[in-house]
Amino acid sequence: MTQPIDTSIYAAITEAIQAEAHRILAEGEVTAIVGYAAARRKGSAQPIIITDAADSVKLIFTPACVNNLAVYLTKAKKDIPKNGKIGIVVKGCDLKALSGLMGESQLKREELYLIGVPCAGVLASTVCPDQELTGDSIAPKCTECDAHLPTGCDFVPAETLVTPELERKYAVEIARLEALTPAERWVYWKEQFAKCIKCYACRQVCPFCFCEQCLCDRNKPQMVDTTPRPAGNTAWHIVRAMHLAGRCAGCAECERVCPMDIPLNLLNRKMAKELKELYNHEAGFEVLDKGPLNMFTEKDDQSFIK
Amino acid sequence: MQPTKQNTFEPKIIAFVCTWCTYAGADLAGTSRMQYPSNVRVLKFPCTGRIDPVFILKAFQQGADGVLVSGCHPGDCHYIAGNFHARRRFAVFRKLLEFVGVDLNRLQFSWVSAAEGGKWVEVVTDLTEKVRSMGPMTEFKELAMEEQWSGAINTPELQEAYNSI
Repeated sequence: MTQPIDTSIYAAITEAIQAEAHRILAEGEVTAIVGYAAARRKGSAQPIIITDAADSVKLIFTPACVNNLAVYLTKAKKDIPKNGKIGIVVKGCDLKALSGLMGESQLKREELYLIGVPCAGVLASTVCPDQELTGDSIAPKCTECDAHLPTGCDFVPAETLVTPELERKYAVEIARLEALTPAERWVYWKEQFAKCIKCYACRQVCPFCFCEQCLCDRNKPQMVDTTPRPAGNTAWHIVRAMHLAGRCAGCAECERVCPMDIPLNLLNRKMAKELKELYNHEAGFEVLDKGPLNMFTEKDDQSFIK
Repeated sequence: MQPTKQNTFEPKIIAFVCTWCTYAGADLAGTSRMQYPSNVRVLKFPCTGRIDPVFILKAFQQGADGVLVSGCHPGDCHYIAGNFHARRRFAVFRKLLEFVGVDLNRLQFSWVSAAEGGKWVEVVTDLTEKVRSMGPMTEFKELAMEEQWSGAINTPELQEAYNSI
């Protein structure tokens, strides 16, 4: 499994992003660009917003560029696009999230200048940000990625990707859990959810959790117990998975930011799998007017209804 | 639990019903003097489309042993498409509950029209008997009883440190 993954093209991608960023900022096509810059530790990366063409040399793309930058255009920051066209550096998974947000009328395509990145994968953990990208250190989401090359962007560096076939980590884990009895699964999830400290990092980082008031913060009526205790935690994670069903783009940011290492994306992947089976829906680059749970057909399966 | 208590277990069933069809159907069962178990507590909603999955969770947390969701047959919705949307939502929700480890035998969905008093009796009786044979739903109640994950001392080192206090 210590299969090396070729990331040699990331240097060329960095150069191409810098050149493009310089051009669009200098020509005034965009007012700002959201991208990645080197952080203080060797090899690490952090999000950056640049507004000056001279700053375009700060932009990079490395295996440590894990963040989904789409979150910088929603929630408290949703006024940002009003100041003019915004450039944003997107990996395939981030572009799926942006497409979903456009479908839900949170963003407009004409407000964005998309700089797509051909991405072979990013690191699972940035604890050692300068480590090599291998079959072990790659993020689990990247082992199942079907969107290495974003399409429909305004600019994509012309680089050829080599993406080896890897073991699909989520599919394996979902199959393992599905083979257990409901009681065994309950024990597994009880232990996982019990770890939750209700920091809501998963909610804050999710591009799709953009409600101004979350159902789980309301107290009249209080639907979900807010204290970090097992009952409220379980309810929160079930509600979260349900609200993301049919919307989640699979960027796995929830799982990455979880300080207690709860396998949150496992629930999202399971829901995605069910939606694929039931309604043939998959998150993609296409902007859909309606998600699978906002529409219906008269012939939908109702074998479970008496 | 003591055996005597087990023998007298009466399941608590919460029924979320739509006011236009199933509520009227249950009413018809009543006015027709049909007999059905009194274990069911009926909650009336405008439409199955109004029934949020979180209501079902809340019902289980508050002590329900079984949950029934019932509304108009497809095509008969008073609001034209509420039950079609609900059908998709619940199809997905029950998959989620199954994955988390809830026994789906405790959760029943049905279409009962205003004319189907007999079907209402049948659905309620079936679910009540099924849940009665399964015993009380303990999973969510136990969660509510548990305070903290760290409350359990399960490593030998911790146990030793605890014993030495």
